[in-house]
Amino acid sequence: MAGFFAWRGRHLPPPVVALLMAPFFMLIVFAFLYPILSLLSLSVTEPQPGLGNYAKIVENPLYATVLMRTLWIAVVVTVCSLLLAFPLAMAMAQARGAMALLLTACVLLPFWSSVLVRTAAWSVLLQRNGIVNGLLQWVGLTSEPVRLLYTEGAVVIAMTHVLMPFMVLPIYGALRNIPPDYGRAAAICGAGPIRRFFEVTFPLALPGVMGGAILVFLTALGYFITPALLGSPKEQMIATLISQQLREFLDWPFAAALVGVLTVFVTAITLAFSKVFRFDRMMGGQL
Amino acid sequence: MKPALDPAKLLMNAYVALILAFLILPILIILPMAFSDTDYLTFPPQGFTLHWFGDYFGNSRWMKATGFSLKIAALTAVITAAIATAATYALVRGAGRLGALFQGFLIMPIVVPHIALAVALYLFFQRTGLANTVAGYVMAHSVIAMPFAVFTIAAAMSAVDPTLEDAAMSCGASRFSAFRLVTLPLILPNVLSGGLFAFILSFDEPVITFFLAGIRQKTLPRMMFDNIEQSLTPTIPAIAVLLTAMAVLVLVAAGLLRRVEARRRS
Amino acid sequence: MIAEAASPARTSDSATGARVSIRGLGKSYGSVTAVTDVSMDIESGEFVALLGPSGSGKTTVLMMLAGFELPTGGEILIDGRDCTRLPPQKRDIGMVFQHYSLFPHMNVRDNVAFPLKMRGIGAAERRRRADAALEVVRLGGYGDRSPKQLSGGQQQRVALARAIVYEPKLLLMDEPLSALDKNLREEMQLEIKRLHSELGITIVFVTHDQGEALTMADRVAVLRDGKIQQLSPSRELYERPANLFAASFVGEMNLIPGQWDGATITLASGDSLVPPPQAFPQPVAPGAALLAFRPERLALAPAGTPGALPATVREVVYAGADTLIIAAMPDGTEIRARVPSAGSRDIAGGTAIALVCPPDAMLVYAGGAA
Repeated sequence: MAGFFAWRGRHLPPPVVALLMAPFFMLIVFAFLYPILSLLSLSVTEPQPGLGNYAKIVENPLYATVLMRTLWIAVVVTVCSLLLAFPLAMAMAQARGAMALLLTACVLLPFWSSVLVRTAAWSVLLQRNGIVNGLLQWVGLTSEPVRLLYTEGAVVIAMTHVLMPFMVLPIYGALRNIPPDYGRAAAICGAGPIRRFFEVTFPLALPGVMGGAILVFLTALGYFITPALLGSPKEQMIATLISQQLREFLDWPFAAALVGVLTVFVTAITLAFSKVFRFDRMMGGQL
Repeated sequence: MKPALDPAKLLMNAYVALILAFLILPILIILPMAFSDTDYLTFPPQGFTLHWFGDYFGNSRWMKATGFSLKIAALTAVITAAIATAATYALVRGAGRLGALFQGFLIMPIVVPHIALAVALYLFFQRTGLANTVAGYVMAHSVIAMPFAVFTIAAAMSAVDPTLEDAAMSCGASRFSAFRLVTLPLILPNVLSGGLFAFILSFDEPVITFFLAGIRQKTLPRMMFDNIEQSLTPTIPAIAVLLTAMAVLVLVAAGLLRRVEARRRS
Repeated sequence: MIAEAASPARTSDSATGARVSIRGLGKSYGSVTAVTDVSMDIESGEFVALLGPSGSGKTTVLMMLAGFELPTGGEILIDGRDCTRLPPQKRDIGMVFQHYSLFPHMNVRDNVAFPLKMRGIGAAERRRRADAALEVVRLGGYGDRSPKQLSGGQQQRVALARAIVYEPKLLLMDEPLSALDKNLREEMQLEIKRLHSELGITIVFVTHDQGEALTMADRVAVLRDGKIQQLSPSRELYERPANLFAASFVGEMNLIPGQWDGATITLASGDSLVPPPQAFPQPVAPGAALLAFRPERLALAPAGTPGALPATVREVVYAGADTLIIAAMPDGTEIRARVPSAGSRDIAGGTAIALVCPPDAMLVYAGGAA
């Protein structure tokens, strides 16, 4: 994958390059950059110029709590995704033939199936008389149905389910690129399976792990659908708060400020991790 | 000598099996509910009926939303694939400083949350009259599908030997003919995959359509969102069956395209 | 071009090669200079090799000839026509690439017919001429195969057929044999030479393999750091290298430091030799100089032979047809001799010997102890 976007072949004349890239730049500027920047400018100019909208976020404990909860849920989802994604990616990298096909299909099918469908599935599974409650009672963990839906737990579970494939692919890509001779060399040097994992496999897979973790973390921070449908209105995340401010209170400047906080935060993280956040590794070559 | 069953390995396999179950079972469980006789969602489904499919296909609001979303998705697929192909080709054939800018612009739609783009476009489109228009949705969806399409196309482009174009030109082909007759046929499977993925991304896209959708003309994801939020009838599993079938089809098609591409290359 | 395309069959008329004239050619990328002031005239039907280490600029010269790179100075004339800034597709040049560069999505025939298609020739005529070109490279009947089903050598033949199918007057080859293994490479060398003499086409051939250059080319241009070091017929290049670089780059060469006083050269070992006037490809001023001679020109003699260089054997390496003797002169300077294995008896390390250097094998270059 090295040099994925590297220059290859004969140079095109600069005017041709500009012409070929023009539609791309026009699209991004017109339908992405300009709208975002004009929204952000709204947050510092309305209702009066200054950082009043941002001060409101910091000063009101209600909003500060939402920010902290968002951060916390994103961290938990990222950690859960890693715990599930790494073993799965390893199994994918080691599997051969039909097994490899099955595993790949199991990861890619959720990846490409509707987020709404998957969220609806969890809302059925977690409802009061749903399968999960039935299972819990059958095992004997509870004697009567517990409230699962519209809780932070539901949001974490469903978000992990939706975002985990984004972590599997880069880790799989990194693992697949490790030459098998490395493990053999470590074994000849006397390393057992566990040493081999921690001394060779994991360090070499780390770029994939970091890339996947950052992608899942950033996506989780701004995630809207799952908290909107499975979360409690009393335990909002930043995306649902933005939606509420906009749709219920029509407070554009304040919603814009919340978007500003979110955007600045994800941009800062992206820049800080720009070394490991390599786009070409992101999908592990599996689309 | 065959090694005895390693308990650590067994444990690991069991864990992987559990992860797979977590990943796939929710989808497998919701699908049969589409055939349930009850008018609420339950598992195991009771009875058998195709009523909910009829409810979907027979309802003009669902149909109109589906048609609207299909139109948006098809246009998004074509436009994204075309823009991505042109830009990626220019990129690997010497974009110079534009290349760095391109990569920066490409990564932004991935890291900036869709909610931020949705709100920004909501404001911008209301001002410009693009709200709830096909053009507005297509632009928005092309932005979020672009990184995926570029990735898919660039993967093929980087696997095509660039001296093939030199060879074509030494045979008398112009630069454009060299691209059209040599490079384009070789990357075509991935251009089609990129378009397919853009189609799916657009057709399923819930967040931007949530904010941009109007009262009268809704997209399919927006209709589904409202249904899940309000009543959650078995119409949703019925649609899920159709959407999942579409995802499977797209995956199979993409897999076949990948195979074609690999065969051409090796 | 149109007349050529319409010519029904290979005729002696269309088979004459192009004359190529390169004058003061230069290429720099920003502050990096790849090629400086390269000039050469290539006769019609001549086979010229561009030889040099990697980074010597040989490929850049070829790419400028082909039209893929624009020179930053100088001009290129093909048959008197100024082609310096002409795009590659308008030069009517055949080209064979290092890794064949066959189009993987076309079968062998369509690959070979591609240049004809670009020239607007009809399908039936294309097919006939492509099949004829495949016959020329001895691949008749392979037209329907996919390039991937062919071996490396066969793919290279297809690439050759594609390059000659429209009977260009000039054929460029960019290290075309470097991807082949040794036996196949030698076979293809002869094949290309055969084609060259059959078609009478002008060939410019880039290689880093000096043996290949000497075997195949009429004349060899040795390049280093973007400059031509020597441009001469193969025999002259080998027997009278114009300078120290050409002497050490092409073939094996003993380079013994010494002092030149205008009449004799005195080596560090104390031996004095009188080189004949033709031993100086370039004038050498009195002072530090290098005496050069090929190992295979030395003859073995018993120790103490007058006029021979005394030495002590260090190592004897048997190499089939000949045997390499690595010896040390009294001052420790290494000297190598390559003698025919047949008829030579075993020599043990440590044996005192003498090496006879015939005067016509001597070359003297200016320069200090290397």
